Amino acid sequence: MARMKFLCDADRCIECNACVTACKNEHEVPWGINRRRVVTINDGKPGERSVSMACMHCTDAPCAAVCPVSCFYTTVDAVVLHSKDLCIGCGYCFYACPFGAPQYPKVGNFGSRGKMDKCTYCAGGPEADFSTAEYEKYGRNRLAEGKLPLCAEMCSTKSLLAGDGDIIASIYKERVMKRGYGSGAWGWKTAYKETINV
Amino acid sequence: MNTWLKSLGALLALAFIASTPVAAQNNNNFNPTKEAVKEEQLLNALKSGERLTGRISIPDEKAASLIQPSGQEWRVFHQQKLPVIGGVAILGMLALLVLFYLVRGRIRIDGGFSGVTITRFASLDRFTHWLTAGCFIVLALSGLNISFGRMLILPYFGAETFATLTAWGKLAHNYLAFPFMFGIALMFLIWVRDNIPNKLDLEWIKQGGGLFSKGSHPPAKRFNAGQKVVFWIVMAGGVVMSMSGWFLLFPYLAEGGVSDLQFFTTIHALLAVLFIAAMLAHAYIGSVGMEGAFDAMGTGEVDLNWAKEHHALWVEEEQAKGRAPAMPPGAMPAE
Amino acid sequence: MLTKRRDAASSRARLQGVAAGLASGVLDRRSFLRRSGLAAGGVAALGGLTLGSVRKAQAGPVVADVKIDRKKNICTHCSVGCSVIAEVQNGVWVGQEPAWESPINRGSHCAKGASVRELVHGDRRLKYPMKLVNGEWTRVSWDVAINEITAKMGEIRDKSGADSVYLLGSAKFSNEGAYLFRKFAAFWGTNSVDHQARICHSTTVAGVANTWGYGAQTNSYNDIRNSKTIIFMGSNAAEAHPVSLQHVLTGKETNRANMIVLDPRFTRTAAHATEYVRFRSGTDIAVIWGMLHHIFANGWEDKTFIQQRVYGMDQIRAEVAKWTPEEVERVTGIPGAQLKKVAETFAKERPSTFIWCMGGTQHTVGTANVRAYCNLLLATGNVGVYGGGANIFRGHCNVQGATDFGLDITNLPLYYGLVEGAWRHWARVWDVPYDYFVSRFDEVPAKAGRPARTRKENMETPGIPSTRWFDATSFDADDVDQRDALKAMVIFGHGGNTVPRMPDMVKALEKLELLVVADPHPTTFAAISGRKNGTYLLPICTQFETSGSRTASNRSVQWGEKVVDPIFESKDDYEVIYRFAQKLGFAEAMFKNIKVENNRPVPEDVLREINRGGWSTGYTGQSPERLKAHMRNQDKFDLVTLRAKADTPEVGGDYYGLPWPCWGTPEIKHPGTHTLYNTNLHVKDGGGTFRARFGVVYAEKQADGSTKDVNLLSEGSYSLGSELTDGYPEFTYGVLKKLGWDKDLTEAEVATITRIGGANPDAVGWAIDLSGGIIRVCLDHGAIPYGNGKARAVAWNLPDPVPVHREPIYTPRVDLVEKYPTRPDGRQFRMMNAGLTVQKAAIEKGVAKNFPIILTSGRLVEYEGGGEETRSNKWLAELQQDMFVEINPADAAARGVVDGGWVWVTGPENQSQARVKALVTERVGKGVAFMPFHFGGWFQGVDQRGNYPKGTDPIVLGESVNTVTTYGYDPVTGMHEGKVTLCQIRAA
Repeated sequence: MARMKFLCDADRCIECNACVTACKNEHEVPWGINRRRVVTINDGKPGERSVSMACMHCTDAPCAAVCPVSCFYTTVDAVVLHSKDLCIGCGYCFYACPFGAPQYPKVGNFGSRGKMDKCTYCAGGPEADFSTAEYEKYGRNRLAEGKLPLCAEMCSTKSLLAGDGDIIASIYKERVMKRGYGSGAWGWKTAYKETINV
Repeated sequence: MNTWLKSLGALLALAFIASTPVAAQNNNNFNPTKEAVKEEQLLNALKSGERLTGRISIPDEKAASLIQPSGQEWRVFHQQKLPVIGGVAILGMLALLVLFYLVRGRIRIDGGFSGVTITRFASLDRFTHWLTAGCFIVLALSGLNISFGRMLILPYFGAETFATLTAWGKLAHNYLAFPFMFGIALMFLIWVRDNIPNKLDLEWIKQGGGLFSKGSHPPAKRFNAGQKVVFWIVMAGGVVMSMSGWFLLFPYLAEGGVSDLQFFTTIHALLAVLFIAAMLAHAYIGSVGMEGAFDAMGTGEVDLNWAKEHHALWVEEEQAKGRAPAMPPGAMPAE
Repeated sequence: MLTKRRDAASSRARLQGVAAGLASGVLDRRSFLRRSGLAAGGVAALGGLTLGSVRKAQAGPVVADVKIDRKKNICTHCSVGCSVIAEVQNGVWVGQEPAWESPINRGSHCAKGASVRELVHGDRRLKYPMKLVNGEWTRVSWDVAINEITAKMGEIRDKSGADSVYLLGSAKFSNEGAYLFRKFAAFWGTNSVDHQARICHSTTVAGVANTWGYGAQTNSYNDIRNSKTIIFMGSNAAEAHPVSLQHVLTGKETNRANMIVLDPRFTRTAAHATEYVRFRSGTDIAVIWGMLHHIFANGWEDKTFIQQRVYGMDQIRAEVAKWTPEEVERVTGIPGAQLKKVAETFAKERPSTFIWCMGGTQHTVGTANVRAYCNLLLATGNVGVYGGGANIFRGHCNVQGATDFGLDITNLPLYYGLVEGAWRHWARVWDVPYDYFVSRFDEVPAKAGRPARTRKENMETPGIPSTRWFDATSFDADDVDQRDALKAMVIFGHGGNTVPRMPDMVKALEKLELLVVADPHPTTFAAISGRKNGTYLLPICTQFETSGSRTASNRSVQWGEKVVDPIFESKDDYEVIYRFAQKLGFAEAMFKNIKVENNRPVPEDVLREINRGGWSTGYTGQSPERLKAHMRNQDKFDLVTLRAKADTPEVGGDYYGLPWPCWGTPEIKHPGTHTLYNTNLHVKDGGGTFRARFGVVYAEKQADGSTKDVNLLSEGSYSLGSELTDGYPEFTYGVLKKLGWDKDLTEAEVATITRIGGANPDAVGWAIDLSGGIIRVCLDHGAIPYGNGKARAVAWNLPDPVPVHREPIYTPRVDLVEKYPTRPDGRQFRMMNAGLTVQKAAIEKGVAKNFPIILTSGRLVEYEGGGEETRSNKWLAELQQDMFVEINPADAAARGVVDGGWVWVTGPENQSQARVKALVTERVGKGVAFMPFHFGGWFQGVDQRGNYPKGTDPIVLGESVNTVTTYGYDPVTGMHEGKVTLCQIRAA
């Protein structure tokens, strides 16, 4: 099976936020929940680069390790998903996640966290594929339709790559070879304990 | 939120907040492609606890954190260190208590029950104690569950039942936190006066509180040094638990974002296991470990002999105020 | 770049199996509309959006047993022209899929394009017609609204004349809508019909057209993949045209191209440059002349190109000689060595393209700036080649088309001008007597010493630019060179916060007798003033709820099909324009040759009429059938050349979208023109030459006062395969005869020419030959119908024939004003342009001392234009929730301003002020502030949310930058000065 990964080529990312709104659009993600976001490092200064970030679907995912109720699971495509039925909204995954991926709706006046929401790699959740329950909890299941995450599919400059790790790594390598520069596969070392050497 | 709490929180968080290192350069004319930052460089430059942060247009500073390697440290703490520390503290304390019981046995009232009682704790005292203690027990159990339940309980219950249990536990933990904090505050108000350390305590401590030798009863006022230690443990523990817990209750208040929260959960968990261990000892000595002690918080009326043995000076004070019963005829002084 | 797309067939079967039982959960159109219509409005909804641990589906999910219709339309935001694929079920747009097959965007979008589905769900859309009754918004029916509006228009017409009604159109129109609106203005009898191009690229059109013939982007986004050097000057394409960066960055990588960004602000585009050059806002000409100084001094110019194809470069050389590196650095701030490097790169590492946007155009010297850019391209021989050219990135989705179709105060559709011959041409196309149009225009009495104008003269006089309609309303009627001042504004799809001097605008708004806003949203116009009556809001649907063609920046014409029916009570532009015409009594004549179904003119038919008249610009070959075939066959077009292989069915040999000029009738199958003026190609393959638009010879004034005739036709340069191997003039029937090519005309063609020419058929030119015969014959001989001329380095008809640097009206460098003053005051477009008076007064008042910071403006990627539509889109609004000003850390520190804190930005006119958040950043240099121009709904610190009809207020409101921007107009087009003014900032 494929080992699905994300790779943001920061030398292509222009912070256009298409990935962000594509995600909102595809999954009807409510206001305040940002499954994907774009962060600009060194804004306005020499060296400025923007990076689109969401759940990286880590190998040995920290969220899964620390979850008190063990609500995470990894699919055969190596996508890290979770069950909102089991989630208790404790926030531990947020503490452990290197990428700030877990999001929580603020529930009620108490201001505490609701059930965690995060990027599903457009692969839904534990419910039956294409069921209403799956859609309402996790959004659309593109992977089961044979499609890749919409954020990457709609990326304006083809900066955000999604797909099998080996293949997107080779695309990135090829780019760096061709153009002669590359600021690195952001998050890869942290998420996958490997990086792309060119 | 209390400003002092906030500023304290900010202070605590200081160590954790970091900014991206920035090369001070003339940015008027240059080659932006050549000077682009590289992830590896930035990560290598990060100090422990620092995050890789940038700018983001949504008004949520937390979202501006791109990579926070300290999540890994938190994971190690939570998954590896905490179980060891918790195990040592709690199981170790239990073992100590068993050992103590085996060696010392139950501490009896040397003079036996006099049959006459003295009011040790009024209803407000007992209400405060039990409010706090009751909350503490639920908080402790639900807290232990969320930290170790996956390891200890989940295999027996199955994921769904365990998740439901834990969700209720979380609710209980969140809501009982408030009466607990109230109890701590009340406790402070009503008991602090009698818990100020003084010279007598030194003597008490010198004698080991008489715990380790039969028939030894260093004099004490309303609270002996041991009880004072418990009081201050509860106060300090209660305050720090409440403060750290406050941010966990209201995660959106933590200005430093994830670093703050990691810090507060770490403190909260670490202190919790120590707190629980200490309270185990307190509970032991207040019940099984000492004859006549439970009555103090049970009915509030303790046997006069017990009182005289453990709080001789307090009994004298009470008697001077006319609030304590006279020794019944024929009763022997404790000595 | 995506991989591992599994075969979807098997999963589709799964999809059908699993979700078969969900039919009851399917959202039908009616319940969807009801739900979105009744959702909470106002700020309350902001809070509501955050609730709930499990989300309520708003319009999904896609359900398996209900048919999914895939509809293809074009993104309605910028001009790149990204295809949008909509998945529709039960009349509800439920999903958006990447349009992989489009050669323009290949599936990609920016934040706006990826969220367009929300536009037809938006509960903040205007739902039904409304009018203001004593300050209260009241629902009315369409019939009542149109009856009352047209009655009032008639009343104003009788009292003050047709010119007193201003018709403000839109770059959001389809081509057909824009054309109908221009035609409507002709029938109404005014030339005061304008649209957003006035405030974005009017100076580009004027400058570029006056240089080499047509005022459009010469190449395409895709073609930038061929460039070796790419200059962006005053363009932040990464935010304004994000998908274009796909082509730019790929080109940069594969060619190891130089990407040079010259901008006062270190933008997201600059972050990807190989060279960033910061210069002072408003000194573009000095920068370009500084570059040319090095180029000429070192002989890096393309001498052959200049000799063959350029007129007047010596005069440029003379002006450029004055711009020594020292003087350039003094004026612009760019070190000489750096500019030399940039100049050398641009001249030597070719092909080089030059990209500019509003940073270049929105100036009092906008047209001159553009002409300077063109001169740089001409001097280095970078026009008419792949990978080169003036890649003018236009703004709105159809600003190119709306410009083409004459939503312009100086033109009839397709740049036919306002002269009698042009009017007669369109009268013939429309099949309406010329005299009818004359009768519709006002007679203008003599006023304030100015002569009177007859109806015919008025008909040939340019109207009032959209940048100054409020002056034409507020000024004394004697100061406005028409029968009366403005009394009514009829605004279709145009924001109310897009033009400087908003405090002045608000006063004028309150003076108007009639204000009509026809738009999907109420816009700032509806909310900003204290109007109590005489204001109407008409809900117009978006282009996703109707069909029609739109022209992208690269001149490709794309057909958008209707995704869903117009939501709520909204209607499309066609129908509303038709209903207006009907009530005003000229619908029958206006729609004589256009089929109308249920009050809706059929856009295909409108396009066919355009095809019958649009010879001048080559809008004749793009029949609806051909355009639809292109949309069906998008995947057949090459990514770089945009051309389909010759043997491809339906579209073989065509360039994608038949970029104009697409010569002749659809039947002769001209492929369109990917690259303008490209002599390396045969005309039939989209080749061409510079347009011989300015005559054959020019009587050039000499130093001694005499004149000398100078050749304006190209010398020894011609397009591939041309039978004429030298320059040649525009074609007329007479020229054909001289060449003996008239024999190739068919009898029918000759008959048409004779009918048009009347007594003088020889004078009938290619552009008014309704038979298309002249063009057809030219193409057969490899000649281009508009002639083979030289580009003009010197445009003698413009105020500054050779562009000269002029300081902005509000400049911080008062020391330079004496040497480089703005142009003298003068009457343009029916009013006084008093720039010099204002500049002098500013210096006397010491404005630069009290307002020491340069204020410039620009775009954010999340929003567009006036921003109502995008600020109402919750997916976009979340990303930019506050209006802000970018301020340099040094300036911020000096003022005690902190990042994220509130500040007041004050302007030098009208005691204007705006309360915004500070964004402390080094993007802007010291002494420079930047504000985005998409915000509205706050005015001088007051939140006007309550002024919008309930439930139609955009999610995000904020101060408009134009509250504090100031006076200043380009003399050629009336373009406002939107990029340099002065301001002061203090913590609030």
